[in-house]
Order: sequence, then C-alpha cells, then structure tokens
Amino acid sequence: MRDRPSGAELLDIAREVLRDKITPDLTPDCRYDALMVANAMAIVMRQVEAGEQGQADERQALSKILGMEGDPDMLNTELANRIRFGDAANPATWKVLHDIALARVVESNPKYL
Amino acid sequence: MGLTSEIIIERLGTYLSGVAGCPVNVSNVFKLSGGAIQENWAVDADVRSGDWAGQHWLVMRCDAPSGVATSHSRVEEFTLLKAAHEVGVVVPVPCFVCDDASVLGRRFFVMHRVSGMAAGHKLARQEISPGLGYELGRNLARIHSIDPSRKDLAFLGTPPMYPAQSAITTYLKYLDDLEQGHPAIEWGLNWLGDHAPDPVQPVLCHRDYRTGNYMVDDGKLMAVLDWEFAGWSDPMEDIAWFCAKCWRFGANEREGGGVTSREDFYQGYEEQSGHTIDRDGVYYWEVMAHVRWAVIACQQAARHVSGEERSLELALTAHVVPELELEILRMTEPKNA
Repeated sequence: MRDRPSGAELLDIAREVLRDKITPDLTPDCRYDALMVANAMAIVMRQVEAGEQGQADERQALSKILGMEGDPDMLNTELANRIRFGDAANPATWKVLHDIALARVVESNPKYL
Repeated sequence: MGLTSEIIIERLGTYLSGVAGCPVNVSNVFKLSGGAIQENWAVDADVRSGDWAGQHWLVMRCDAPSGVATSHSRVEEFTLLKAAHEVGVVVPVPCFVCDDASVLGRRFFVMHRVSGMAAGHKLARQEISPGLGYELGRNLARIHSIDPSRKDLAFLGTPPMYPAQSAITTYLKYLDDLEQGHPAIEWGLNWLGDHAPDPVQPVLCHRDYRTGNYMVDDGKLMAVLDWEFAGWSDPMEDIAWFCAKCWRFGANEREGGGVTSREDFYQGYEEQSGHTIDRDGVYYWEVMAHVRWAVIACQQAARHVSGEERSLELALTAHVVPELELEILRMTEPKNA
C-alpha cells in the first residue's frame, strides 16, 4: 500500500501552490501558461481519483449496444461507423452516448454540469 | 526568417516613405500577442508631409514563419477588410497591402491600431455594457449585406447551394482524417443531415464572429477581427456561432456570446437587416457550431498527440470535446429516449 498523501492529494496541494503562490507574481503571458498547467493538473487529479471504473463502464456499454467485444478505440470507431451509415441512430444509442459524454465531462470539466 | 523590430523599423520605414512620397519615421515597433498563423506588429508611423501628414498608430499583419496555408492570404484578408469597411462594419481601417514579399520577407498589410480588449473570459465577467449587444447584431447584419455578386470577392469561390450540406461534408472528411472514431460527433452530423434547413441565398459570413474575436473599449465595439475563415454561407451560421453555448465563456445566462442577451443581439440584427431571424435555423446552426468546434478541437488534440506540434494549449483543447459532445447530444435528444 502506498503512503498518503496519495497521488491525487499531491497533485491537489501542488496545484494550490502553483495557483496561489506562484501565479500572481508572473507576467501576463506566463500567468496564462501557469493557469493552463493548473487546469491540466486538475484534470489528471480527477482522472486519478476516478480510477478505471469509468473506462470499464464505457467499454461495457459500447460492447452491449454493438453486440461485440473489443478495446474502447475499436468499439468507438465501430459505433461511429454504424451511426454514419444510419444503422444506429436510435434512442438506445443516444442514451449510451449521453451517459459516456456525461461521465467524461465529470473528469474534464465538472463545472460545466 | 524571424522578423525583429529593428528590421521592421528600417525596411517598413523605407517602404512607407516610398508609398507616401515623403520621409516616414517608423518607431515603437513591438509584436502583439496571439496568432499562431499570423503575426501582428504594433507600428507607429510619423509621416512628415503630404496627404497623410501626422502620427499614425498602425498594425502590420503578416504570415508567421510556420503559417499553414489553410486560411485566406494576407492580400485576400485585406480585400475582405476593405469590403467590410465600405459597408460600415466596424473593423480596423485597412490602409494598404504589400504583395511584394521582398520588402519584409513576407506579404503584409497595414491597418489602424484599435484600442480595447478582446479576451473573451474577461469580457464575459464584466458588467453588461448597454448597447454592445445591439451594436454587435447591427454590425453582423452589415457583414451579411455583402453578397456573392461582388467581383473583388471572387476569390471566395462559388457560393454553396446547400451551405449546411457543404459543412456536413467537410466535417465528415475531417473526422475521416482522424485515427479514432467519434460516435457522439457522428450522431450530431447524422441529426444535422436529417434536419437541414431549406437553402437560402448565401451571403458573406465571417465564420468566426464570436466573443474573443472583436475588440471592446469602455463597453463600445471597436473592431471585428480575424477574417481568415470568411466565406459565403447561410447567415444563420454566424448568428448561431455567436450565440452558441460553447462561446459564452462560462456566462451561460447571457446567450449573446456571454456579453449580452440574445434579444438585444437579435434586435440589432433585425433592425439593421430588415429581416426576421429564423429561430429554428439558428437552433440548427447552434448544433452545427458545437459539431464544428468539436471537430476542430479533435484536430488540435491530434496535432499534439501525434507530436506534429507539442503544445499544452492544444493538449487541453482535447478536454473541451466531452462538454461539446454532451451539448450536441442534449440538443438532439430523440423524443422517445
């Protein structure tokens, strides 16, 4: 077992220092870069906290609606193809896509919700 | 070759002296921020005599060394600015264009320098300026008063008969060039294919008319910038791009680009154009706006991931895609889902 603080907790405190102590003294150009770095760290932090469950759920939902197994890349591409050729534009597909998008936004930008 | 302020002071000074027919002293040259494809340089020009005698605050715009040749050339952009200026669109006044690459090593044009700020995330946090939304609407209507009959804009090509279909075809092709499939964006494009509006007479569209691409000073619209994507299209495309949720910089309750109400923007547009805005058409093109931005964001992410252009900004753009996809899906939810 790893000691605390965990990876996510480390990122959290590192981000706080960057944002509150380092950024205010920077030139406007560098401040913009620093805020981007803080934003990137926040995304990683949420991904670390969320773990792999979301990825597994996405894969399972895609497998189920497509009726086939595969890696997430392959499944996404397969569904994209089916939608383009009109074979999957139905409410069940919409529900799967919506739930996947929602789960991704929770990691990428929860403020959007 | 990288430009420096010394090179610009010397060569632009000599060139301007020739154009003005009298000594022109160039000073206070510095590079303005922003622009991966183009460079903008602030230039002060002191014209000693003749028609232009006096001090001029200018911007010299040229291609960046790594500029990709996907957008309009500087000469074409200058022509667009002139056309817009002639019909009363608020733009930086275009002065002259230099099609001779030997002067500065790149083609360039010169326009007036405009005061103010363009940063979207800042404008969306300021108090609403009375009249700004109305003026933005009026200004867009003036752009749309330009139609394909203009010979000087022939470089924009033949106007599409079905602008929505043309856009769909373009974005499908862009998706094909990406390695991974994007089913949510495909869903959006499929919906767009099924709900395309009746074709309208195409007009000049700015195609990037949004907060972040115009200058505001003390609540007043000073200039519309970034004309490199302009082309013939359905005017609802511009109205929707301006209002789309993805360009409100977090100020979601201000549906006019995060800086105004939708009503004020519409009112300015309708009074200036004399046309009623097609509300359904705008909804349709707002779905298209999210699709377009999602496709571009995927392309930018791919540029970073492939190693073609390592950049934190490009890398972060990838993480805008989920919220764009969510918006596309929310806007196109089937009735019996």
